[in-house]
Amino acid sequence: MDLIIFYFRKLFTILKKEVLVLPSRVVVILFFLFVLLLPVLPVIGNDPYMLRIFTLTCIYAIFAASWDLLSGYTGQMNFGHALFFGVGAYSAALLNHHIHIPPWGSIPIGALVAVLAGLIIGIPCLRLKGTYLALTTLAFPIILIGIVFAFPDQLGGELGISGIERIARSKVISYYIIAIIMLGLCTIMWAITDSKLGIILHAIREDEIAVRTAGINTTRYKLLAFSLSGFFAGVAGGLYAHYMRIAGPSTLEVSLSFQVVIWSIFGGIVSIYGPIGAVFVLFPLLELLRFWEQGRTLMFACIIILILLYMPDGLFPWLRDKIEKECPRCKKRNFWRRKTCRICTAELD
Amino acid sequence: MDAPFLDIKGLDKSFGGLRAINNVHIHMAQKEVLGLIGPNGAGKTTLIRLIMGILRPDTGSVRFRGKEVVGRKTWTIVNMGIASTFQNMRPFRRLPIIANVMVSCQCPRAMKRGEWVKKIEAKAMDALEFAGISDMALEDASTLSQGDLKRLEVARAIATEPDLLLLDEPFGGLSPAETDLMAKSIKRLHKGGRFGRLHSEGPAMIIVEHKLQQLMKIVDRIVVLDFGTIIADGPPEEVVKNEKVIEAYLGQGGV
Ligand SMILES: Nc1ncnc2c1ncn2[C@@H]1O[C@H](COP(=O)(O)OP(=O)(O)OP(=O)(O)O)[C@@H](O)[C@H]1O
Ligand SMILES: [Mg+2]
Repeated sequence: MDLIIFYFRKLFTILKKEVLVLPSRVVVILFFLFVLLLPVLPVIGNDPYMLRIFTLTCIYAIFAASWDLLSGYTGQMNFGHALFFGVGAYSAALLNHHIHIPPWGSIPIGALVAVLAGLIIGIPCLRLKGTYLALTTLAFPIILIGIVFAFPDQLGGELGISGIERIARSKVISYYIIAIIMLGLCTIMWAITDSKLGIILHAIREDEIAVRTAGINTTRYKLLAFSLSGFFAGVAGGLYAHYMRIAGPSTLEVSLSFQVVIWSIFGGIVSIYGPIGAVFVLFPLLELLRFWEQGRTLMFACIIILILLYMPDGLFPWLRDKIEKECPRCKKRNFWRRKTCRICTAELD
Repeated sequence: MDAPFLDIKGLDKSFGGLRAINNVHIHMAQKEVLGLIGPNGAGKTTLIRLIMGILRPDTGSVRFRGKEVVGRKTWTIVNMGIASTFQNMRPFRRLPIIANVMVSCQCPRAMKRGEWVKKIEAKAMDALEFAGISDMALEDASTLSQGDLKRLEVARAIATEPDLLLLDEPFGGLSPAETDLMAKSIKRLHKGGRFGRLHSEGPAMIIVEHKLQQLMKIVDRIVVLDFGTIIADGPPEEVVKNEKVIEAYLGQGGV
C-alpha cells in the first residue's frame, strides 16, 4: 500500500515538475487525452460520421509526419509521397484479398513493400537535389497509376481492390486501434528526429557536402530516411485500405501527394508535431465544410495563404514561440510569463 | 620500408580552360607541418578539395599511407584519417554547436576510437573544449562570430580523429588576438596536446594561410603555389628569400 502511495507521489511530482511547467507538454498530454477519449466525448463521440472523420485524420496524421521525416528533416523534397501510401494500401489489399493474411500481418508486410519501393526510387533519386528531386518524385506515383490501369484484372483498375477485411468489427474498436498506432508511430518518429540519427538527418538538410567531410556516408543515411519514411507512410496506407475496405487509384493521386505537402507547411515542417497538428485541424475542417462545396476550397486556400504570410515557419512553431520563450543561457524552454528560467534561474527577457 | 605518409604525384585539375592545378607533386612525412601559400586563385583550396575527394582530379594520384585516395568517396577518405576545414565556413547553421560536432563524432572512425564508455555528447564536448568554444555549446551556429566559426570548423575536423589535418585559412578574418589563440591551439594539437587521450601524437597538417608571419612560427616546410604550379618547396627561411616567390607572391617588401 505504501509503495503504491509512493509511486503515486512520484508520478505526481513528475507531472508537476516536468509536465505542467511547459505549455507545449500540457498540450501534448491534452492531445493524447483528446485522441484517446474521443469516442466517449459528447457530440463528437456518438456520431459515426465524426468518428469516421477522426479515424481518417489519424491515418493522415501518420502520413503527414512521415513526409516531414523525409522532406522536412532530411530535406529530400518528395512531391510523390502518395507512392508509399498507395503501395502500402495496394500491397495490404492484395495480401488480404488473395492470400487472406489478416490485417495485423498484411499492414506491416505492405509497409515493408513500401520500403522496398522507397529504396528502388531512392537509389536513382539520390543524386538529385531540390527541384529536380521534387519533379522526379512527382512522376513515380503517376507511373504507378498507369500500371494499375494496365492490369485491371490483378489490380482492379479504376475501381481498385475491394472487399478487404475490416480492422475490427466495431467502428469504435477500429478507431482505437488506429488511434493508438498513430500515437505510437508519431512518438517513434519524434524520437527519431530527437536522437543522434536525427542530428545527422538534419545536418544533411543543411549542407550535404559538410556532412560528407565529417566522414558520414550520406548515401546510406538518405536511403535510411527514404526507408523509414516509406515504412510509416506504408503503414498509413495499409490502415487506410483496411479501414475503407478498398485500395483504389485515389491512394496514389497527385492531389494526395500535394495535400500532405500543404498540411505540413501549414503546420510547420521540421517539427513532426506541426504536420500532425495541421492534419487534426485541416482535415476535419475541410470535411465539415462539405455542405459548402463551392466556397470550401477557396476558403481553404485563403487560410493557407494567410498562415504562410504571417507565420512562415508554420502555425504550430509560431504558437509555440508565443507561449514559450527560450532561456538565453541554458536554452531550455520556459512558460512565457516567467521572469526567470526554471532550470538555471537566468533572467528571461 | 613503410609506405610514404602522403604522396601526391602529377596532380592536374582544369575548370573549363582554366588549369587550377598543374602537375603538382608533394611528398610529406608523418608528423610534418606543411604550409601552403600562394596568391589568390593559385589553387590552394582546389588542392585541398582534390585530396578530400570533393573534386576529382583529371590525372594524377594521391596516396595516403600507400593507399590511393583518388576516386574514393569523401567519407571514405575521412575514415582513412584525413580531415579538412572549409575556407568559407560551412556550419549547420540551424543546429546547436554541439550538434554540429556530434555529426563528426558519429563517423565510423571516431566511433571506433576513444573511450567507448564516453557518450557522443561528451566526445563532442571534448573537441569543443579543445577548440575553446565549449561555453557556447548550446548556442545555434548561426549566432557565432567569424573567429568562433573557424574554431567550430577545427572542432568538427578533429572530432573525426584525423592523422592528417588540412586547414584552409584558419586565421582568415580573425583579429590579431584571435589569430594568436588559434595558432597556439594548432601548435598544441600538433604536439599531441590534450584532446582526450586520443592524440597521444598530434596529426600531421597542411595549413593554407595568407598571414605568413604566424604561419612561419608553426610550420616545418612551406610549399608555394602559383597558377596551380609549385614554384618553391623548402624550409620557411629559404622560401621567403626565393626570387620567384618574392616576385609572384610576397612582393618587394618581403614578409
Ligand atoms: N568549382 C569551380 N569551378 C570553376 N572554377 C573554379 C572552381 N573552384 C575554383 N575555381 C577557380 O580555380 C582557381 C583556383 O581557386 P582556389 O579557390 O583553389 O584558389 P585559392 O588558392 O584557394 O585562392 P584564395 O587564396 O583566394 O583562397 C581560381 O581561379 C578559381 O576561380
Ligand atoms: Mg582558398
